[in-house]
Amino acid sequence: MTNELSRRDLLRLSAAGVAATSLSGWLPVLASHAAQSGARHKACIVLFMEGGPSHKDTFDLKPGTKDGGEFKPIPTSVPGLQISEHLPKVAKWMHEGAVIRSMSTGEGAHGRARYYMHTGYKEGVGGIVHPTLGSIVSKELGRPDFAMPNFVAVGRGAYGAGFLGAKHQPLVVTDTKRGVENLRPFTSSEQFDQRIGLLEEMESAFHREYKAASAVDHRTTYARAVTLMKSKEAKAFDLSLEPESSRSKYGSGNFAEGCLLARRLVEVGVPFVEVGLGGWDTHQDNFDRVKRLSQQIDQPMAALIGDLKERGLLKDTLVIWMGEFGRTPRINARGAKPGRDHYPRAWSTAMWGAGMKAGQVIGETDKEGATVTKRPTSGLDFLATVCTLLGITYTKNNNTPNGRPIRIVEKGATPIAELLS
Amino acid sequence: MNRSKLIIRWGQGLVAALTATLLALPALSAAENKAPAPNESKNAKALAAKIDQRIEARLREEKVPASPAASDAEFLRRVSLDITGVIPTAERAKAFLDSGDPDKRAKLIDELLASPEYGKRMADVWQDLLLTRTSDNRRMNPAPFYAWLKENFNANKPWDRMTRELLTASGTQDKNAAVTYFVANESVDKITDNVTKNLLGVQLQCAQCHNHPFTAWKQTEYWAMAAFFMKVRADNANRAVRQGSSPGVSEGPQINRNRRALPESAKMVPAKFLGGEQPKLIEREAYRPIVADWITSPKNPYFARAMANRVWAMMFGRGIVNPVDDMHEGNEPSHPELLKDLADGFIASGFDVKELIRAVALGKTYQRSSKPVEGNADTDRALLARMPIKVLPAEMLFDSLVQVSGSAPVREGRPARQGRGPAAGPRQQFVNFFRADEGADPTEYNHGIPQALRVMNSAQFNRTTLVDQLTRNGPKPEEAIERLFLSVLSRRPTSAETTRFTAHLTKAGLRSGCNDVLWVLLNSSECVVNR
Repeated sequence: MTNELSRRDLLRLSAAGVAATSLSGWLPVLASHAAQSGARHKACIVLFMEGGPSHKDTFDLKPGTKDGGEFKPIPTSVPGLQISEHLPKVAKWMHEGAVIRSMSTGEGAHGRARYYMHTGYKEGVGGIVHPTLGSIVSKELGRPDFAMPNFVAVGRGAYGAGFLGAKHQPLVVTDTKRGVENLRPFTSSEQFDQRIGLLEEMESAFHREYKAASAVDHRTTYARAVTLMKSKEAKAFDLSLEPESSRSKYGSGNFAEGCLLARRLVEVGVPFVEVGLGGWDTHQDNFDRVKRLSQQIDQPMAALIGDLKERGLLKDTLVIWMGEFGRTPRINARGAKPGRDHYPRAWSTAMWGAGMKAGQVIGETDKEGATVTKRPTSGLDFLATVCTLLGITYTKNNNTPNGRPIRIVEKGATPIAELLS
Repeated sequence: MNRSKLIIRWGQGLVAALTATLLALPALSAAENKAPAPNESKNAKALAAKIDQRIEARLREEKVPASPAASDAEFLRRVSLDITGVIPTAERAKAFLDSGDPDKRAKLIDELLASPEYGKRMADVWQDLLLTRTSDNRRMNPAPFYAWLKENFNANKPWDRMTRELLTASGTQDKNAAVTYFVANESVDKITDNVTKNLLGVQLQCAQCHNHPFTAWKQTEYWAMAAFFMKVRADNANRAVRQGSSPGVSEGPQINRNRRALPESAKMVPAKFLGGEQPKLIEREAYRPIVADWITSPKNPYFARAMANRVWAMMFGRGIVNPVDDMHEGNEPSHPELLKDLADGFIASGFDVKELIRAVALGKTYQRSSKPVEGNADTDRALLARMPIKVLPAEMLFDSLVQVSGSAPVREGRPARQGRGPAAGPRQQFVNFFRADEGADPTEYNHGIPQALRVMNSAQFNRTTLVDQLTRNGPKPEEAIERLFLSVLSRRPTSAETTRFTAHLTKAGLRSGCNDVLWVLLNSSECVVNR
């Protein structure tokens, strides 16, 4: 609460302090704050598999059992840990990460499950909209004086800031080729600067006479937007600046480019990026589709983890692979190319980096992948683990606009101790 | 002739004549619905005077000086936005500023209340409050409900009747749009939360799972109120849309134990009015008309107060009880007698919403400048020593932008897909992008960087239609500048502004210079706030 106030005051002060000067006066103030804020913070990249990926066909294979499916397991860089044959590049990075095979949750409809796994709360309870993980990270780890947004979502489905407010909303990049929309002036940059100068001149009388906090906030946001337009960090959004050699490591397509964009953003200090990939709702034609999807994620995920490692960023960056639930252990009877249906009772997630005790498998399911037999992990346990790895106190309260305290993660969560060092 | 028709005609230009003749008539109790409309102005004026009396008494008590009356320009833009949700056209602004009629403010208020834009503004506010959007109803088509709200507010259907129609609605959405309320709030807890919060101004939702921490509401009271809605059967909107049918609502003879309707946490207790008695119920008969009777009764302790407080908040950016939907003994009104006056006046008028808005807008309190004077810049906002400055909600920003550019926006909605529900049109897309969060303080600026970037740099905000029209006949620079100011800020430029921008136009050329000025005005703090 006090933290929030002082941030706000800081913003107001920095804007008010330059109220009487021209645009050239705005920017250095913000830039100097950015330069002072020093120590590198942790960051998080969520790769969200929309639709609910089949655990038995990705990270928890059950070869030779009933409805075990067509895929073969392959060894990974961790002795004894095997994953799908269609994730060979990811397999080489398992020593830097962990698979959680004991996810067990209660929501089996896409919307509600996605909301739950993003926020840790059941949708609609208590009449409030809860903040998504990215907004929580933006609030807890983001710098208000940073030229860049603190939460970037590539594709759809990341959910929003809920009661934390617009400052923690994601900046959404729908098309990686276009990057941030409206980042370039509509006119030439000379004309743009001239317009900003005129705006400054015209505004000063209004600001002086009305002394409105909203007007100060308006100006502050403009200063940040203009700073972003002119900042070198914003170049992180422009994938064409990436050398061809490293672009090709990721492959092509919106998800691959999303992974590359995530790396570029984390590199310049953005604390949270979510990249979504749809298509995992494989009620029909499960095996062809999961194979194709696995091939689609294998190369960019491996490239992302590899790049982060190579640049010394992986120790501070948590990369999470997850969906909203798993899929039925049974293969259904839908036509010639059957599939698997929604299954929240037992499923898998995987994560890498951020100083975790890597190279592990957490929990276990029975031989059909139907029931968790070891260390059941609820959505709350999962989010508490993520928060702890990121250095966020998950028991902390945030207040709604009406002053109601809401914990970051609800009571009843136990972080996975085996992963924490 | 029914009363709502009269009011509309009345606002369309008969005002002066009618007021003059009818003011002489003896005042009739407005609670008798047969009362002819025009004596309302007298009631509204009386209520406006009471408002000012209460506010001024408190200011004197606190020794806080009030700001002077708002200028015509301040008042014009403010009242247009508050009542119709859109800024006036340049022509309208000019005519109002130039008019010497001493009664022009009252006439403007009537004109705005009679404009169809009024219903749109009210529908924007109430659709947001009444339709809870979640993934369970994301395919629901809200358009018929929006039209229903708009039509009823425009016809000035008394608020008790509108509420009753909402609460007792049955049938399918294509036949009776009011059922959308229950379709959007499919489960017992959702509808109970919504009814108490928005129609009664009481936040009960915490008591769903535990006794309320700040108030006397007990968990059993929550479920006793919820019991009135437990027999409702509402179709799931997503499923109906997928099946190509219109979702419906009915009230059955027994409790609806469908998992979607009745949450696990539900407690089965006899139905009891909130803080009131336990009515005798016959299980086979519908419960909703009974709770609707209780809610909309002039004797209900919450209903009129809740609406009076909402209307107040709509005009001042802050309720007399604030947060606006959180009335409880620990959350005192800033002006308790005033809230009572407003609620009593609202009941006496027969729950006439336009009349309530008219009364508020006619008051000196509402017509005060938002500029601070020595001694009131940092005083408690609730005292209303000056008009609070609100930020334009997304809907107002969009409609005002369309008003300025004189044409519909470039960005088109996605085409609708079979079984997927309606696609968002350009206005809805814009609103989704600029929307503040639920419960946000209306006086706070909540846009982030993406919104600022869109206003500055998108084609949508850089349309040149207005400048093209304006510069076609080679106007003098000062004329062009004045026209741009009237279009965007509903005021004339100051002499300093005229001088500065004329110099710019001379340097940059008329057309390019005018586009610069338009850009500057659209991106100014003054444009995005309602002062």
